[in-house]
Amino acid sequence: MLDKLTPNQRMILAVASSAVFMMIYITIFPPEEVQVDQNTTAQTSKVAVSNTKSTTITPSVDLGHDTSSTTSVSSNNSILATLTGKNYILTIDTLGRIDQKEMLEEKFADKENVNAKLVSETGAKPLYIRFADKALNEEAMKVAYTSNIKEANLIDGHVSVTLTQKLSSLTVVKNLTFYSDGHYDVDIKLSEDKRYYIYLGMHPTFSDKQMMSVEGAMIDTGDDHIITIVKDGDAENMTSYNGVNLVSSFSQYFASIFYNIGNETNVKVDRDRDDNPVVFIEGLQNYTFNGYIGPKDHRILHAIKPELTNAIEYGWFTFAAAPLFQFLLFLHDYVGNWGWAIVILTLVIRILLFPLTFRGMLSMAKLKEVSPKVKELQAKHKGDPQKMNAAVMALYKKEGANPLGGCLPLLLQIPVFFAIYRVLLNAVELKGAEWIFWITDLAHMDPTYVLPIIMGATMFFQQHITPSNFTDPMQEKVFKFLPLIFTFFFITFPAGLVLYWAVNNIFSIIQQAIVNKKFAAHKKAKLEE
Amino acid sequence: MFRTIILKFLYIYQRFFTLIGYGSCRFYPTCSEYAKWQFDKNPLHIAFIQTILRILRCNQLFNGGIDYPLVKKLNCKIKKDKISNIKYWYVPKGPNQFYLIKNFSKGKPC
Repeated sequence: MLDKLTPNQRMILAVASSAVFMMIYITIFPPEEVQVDQNTTAQTSKVAVSNTKSTTITPSVDLGHDTSSTTSVSSNNSILATLTGKNYILTIDTLGRIDQKEMLEEKFADKENVNAKLVSETGAKPLYIRFADKALNEEAMKVAYTSNIKEANLIDGHVSVTLTQKLSSLTVVKNLTFYSDGHYDVDIKLSEDKRYYIYLGMHPTFSDKQMMSVEGAMIDTGDDHIITIVKDGDAENMTSYNGVNLVSSFSQYFASIFYNIGNETNVKVDRDRDDNPVVFIEGLQNYTFNGYIGPKDHRILHAIKPELTNAIEYGWFTFAAAPLFQFLLFLHDYVGNWGWAIVILTLVIRILLFPLTFRGMLSMAKLKEVSPKVKELQAKHKGDPQKMNAAVMALYKKEGANPLGGCLPLLLQIPVFFAIYRVLLNAVELKGAEWIFWITDLAHMDPTYVLPIIMGATMFFQQHITPSNFTDPMQEKVFKFLPLIFTFFFITFPAGLVLYWAVNNIFSIIQQAIVNKKFAAHKKAKLEE
Repeated sequence: MFRTIILKFLYIYQRFFTLIGYGSCRFYPTCSEYAKWQFDKNPLHIAFIQTILRILRCNQLFNGGIDYPLVKKLNCKIKKDKISNIKYWYVPKGPNQFYLIKNFSKGKPC
């Protein structure tokens, strides 16, 4: 049937069947705007920024984002209130800020088993208020807030905390309602109209930050959800943004987010001494907005407000990684395990490429007649690989039998591979995700090295049963060592990625075994004739 | 400039990375070799499109076989008429169309 199609029709079929993978997302999951945007962000964001930004002259250092040096009030015994959640402890200090959010889950702990902390010890903390009036600000730094509660449990539902600061000329009332899922309502009331700023807070630098994971600030602006990312160390002079949907200060797995801040609200991104972005928004006399602090968990954020999932980013490859994550999440809902979800993903990709492989298998049958001729040609053109290859290819075309897989199926693996890598790197859900037996964290390298070794072994076996014709003995040697090179190369890769590749190899082996068997049966049948 | 970068990249690819998928190309010349010839002798945009189309063709739905790049213009300057100095053969296909075939024989003309 395929032979009757014109080359153009076959080309379309080939592209279509390989692209179905991406299309599935579009049908099952409506495309999120951000994914489309990310594609063009490189260009548009710059344009968008120049539209909304107005670089101010104020030098950053004088602004006093960094309160650590002047915090006479916020010394060690400065904790006003402690909220204990199911898997975190949130503390509020006497400056009316979120002093710390400590994640109690073991998977977030670092190598020394110290729990992950979401707020930087130095620098501005979330919900810190700075007054534009210097004298007022100085006073505010010295007068402690009071709280209506000291301690509360936040296992379910919500807890309201009222923080009050009585200054000589002004009373500040912060009504905070914390919800167990990590988001909170903010209601700030000033007895008099004063100009002030509220800080988003900064994340600490995690010591075991992984290669290529992005940290910094993200601003989502406009109806088109244009995403601007200011990476740590890359922040420039103060920039303002309007029409902000959400603003986030994020690390690999966590984020502090402000949202519902109002379309007119000015969001400013300044830099600190290390050129890390410092984010604050301009408040009103009576001002309400929402915030979130916690892991960038897709389900939690989606449940709070679907738009918040825009805060999850996978670097420049988001346009492919985000749909891939959606698909993995979809699979995870059925199988309940991320490891198995990856295995099924591999299978799905295999099935989608099956029209290609099936056609390849069909041509295998014809190879029998061809192989003696190939040997003949190889002998004839010994020492001239170019001529030999050309002659062999001409023969394959003439006989309509080509045993080779082609470059397209191979190249298609690269974006899939990279997207999985990004997802494993950034998706907090996969952190500490178990598979079977010894695999306890798919996002981390396999400490037992068993998975990379299995990967190398399956690769070796796959090579072993796949027929290949080498013209250059040197290349052949290197080719034989490739599984070993790959094993070492994969050792430090996240276990989930190694799992993907190993399972992929296993499927290739099964496929090749079927082909070989068919071929052998065919050979036998011919001989008996 | 851009051309040189791409050719350098292709050289590195062929030297070091091609082994990952060794012997999977269904064509002669292989996709990477085809790309090299394209970028060597065709305008950049044509080389790009042709190379991408070639990679898309390189799967089991196509028979593979011999597939040489096509050039429209002759842009060769032969300095010495030694066969070892000839880089490509231009084999006429139709009016103003040539197959581009690299000359691999070194030294002795035959």
